[in-house]
Amino acid sequence: MNITVENVSHTYDVQVLNNLEITLKNYRSIALIGVSGSGKSTLLRMLAGLERPTSGKLTVNNRNVLDKEHRSSIGMVFQTHSLFPHLSLEENITLVLEKTRGIDKETARKTAHKNLERLSLGDQAYKLPKNVSGGQAQRASIARALSVDPDIIFLDEPTASLDPILTDEVLSSVENLRELGKDFVFVTHVLSFVRDFADYVIYMDQGDIVEHGTPDILDEPKTDSFKNFMSKVR
Amino acid sequence: MTQKSLTQMTRTQKKSTQKKYHYLLAIGFFLAFVVFVALRQTSPFQIGRLDGYVASIFGGFLRTILVSFIALIGSTFTGFLLFLMSKSNNGLFRAFVDVFTEIIYGTPLLVAIIMMAWVVGPAFNTYNRPVLGVIGLIVYITPYMTNIFRSAFKSIPEEQYLAMDVFGFTNVQKYIYIIIPQVLRILMPPLMNNFSLIIKGSALLHVIAYGELFHTVGVMQSRTFGYAEGYITMWALYIIITIPLSQFTRYFERRWSLE
Repeated sequence: MNITVENVSHTYDVQVLNNLEITLKNYRSIALIGVSGSGKSTLLRMLAGLERPTSGKLTVNNRNVLDKEHRSSIGMVFQTHSLFPHLSLEENITLVLEKTRGIDKETARKTAHKNLERLSLGDQAYKLPKNVSGGQAQRASIARALSVDPDIIFLDEPTASLDPILTDEVLSSVENLRELGKDFVFVTHVLSFVRDFADYVIYMDQGDIVEHGTPDILDEPKTDSFKNFMSKVR
Repeated sequence: MTQKSLTQMTRTQKKSTQKKYHYLLAIGFFLAFVVFVALRQTSPFQIGRLDGYVASIFGGFLRTILVSFIALIGSTFTGFLLFLMSKSNNGLFRAFVDVFTEIIYGTPLLVAIIMMAWVVGPAFNTYNRPVLGVIGLIVYITPYMTNIFRSAFKSIPEEQYLAMDVFGFTNVQKYIYIIIPQVLRILMPPLMNNFSLIIKGSALLHVIAYGELFHTVGVMQSRTFGYAEGYITMWALYIIITIPLSQFTRYFERRWSLE
């Protein structure tokens, strides 16, 4: 995927992002890392088109992220599973497919099962989110994001609400998706996953992109800020 | 089946029978207490004094349910209206809701009913006391209804709305397929609790001589002097609706909760 970020700023009450500028060409899997409040989640949400920059412009695959076509070419997974709790895992997917993509019932059902099985949830399809584990719910949410056949999947700290064992379970199922040929942009605190899965890393601090490059930069941090971060996060 | 799971099963079975006995015992205690106080009245307790008034008391009972139901429907609407106003971008609307809520929170229900029937109504040339009384009840319950709407809508987390946005649901689709089905389930238990509040509160409508349960019992008492008989019957009739209602609410919560 190709990403350009041109002079992007974002302000809530304080400046969250300061005039970010970066161009990325032909990367498959981009990791955004940094401490909480560094602006990485905000940047991710902007790339997904969920939040408008106060100034500047972002494009993904040569499309402005605020275009409707961009919206329909992505899938997204959040910190919490964000499944619709009154619907079974299967219905969570079929509702999306039938209502927003105009896909007929039977095809939607087949797509739902295919994607749930891909995430080893074939036997959980008819359960409500409250009746499956946190890790299973998060995997179902990944299956839901996959089922719209997106070009890019955005993951916003998908394991933030999970314990270490479930974290491992969810992240290894993401790694298994590599074969699908999808692109990924993700925020995470799990550096081992960044090393395994990312082909580009962006380190952010206080609303600035401080360092970026291939995952090798994790082994040789140059700035004090990144050195400090790497010494604390393992 | 292993030995261990067998003993475990008998243990849980034992526990549930034990629990059942505990409840029967507790219920028995309160029934005995009622019998005790009934027998200790200065004039002998004769349930027969209700003869000839059964129909009118039952009519009062039905009117209590009817009037509570009307107040429930009415206050659900007004409560939702105030909820919408409190969500409005217009600061005046929000201020109106806040001030109204504070006033009602500070007002006893009895005062609300009397004010409506004897002061506010006449100021608008309305003297239909039953209608004014019900309006008083509705006005009183409204802010409580607003509250349950507020917490129901708040209980849908922000990320769910973001997910709807990413998938591209239209606003109408969001409400029909995702928000309303959830909100209804979250809303039902507190709504039924409020219904119980209304039923109990409707007893105060007797001050405007509306023929609900309390009032019809009062009429019977003034003619037969069957005070204990009347009050105990009335009490039982209230409990016959409110306790099953709260039990059903709990069942609903267990069965339909989304968490």
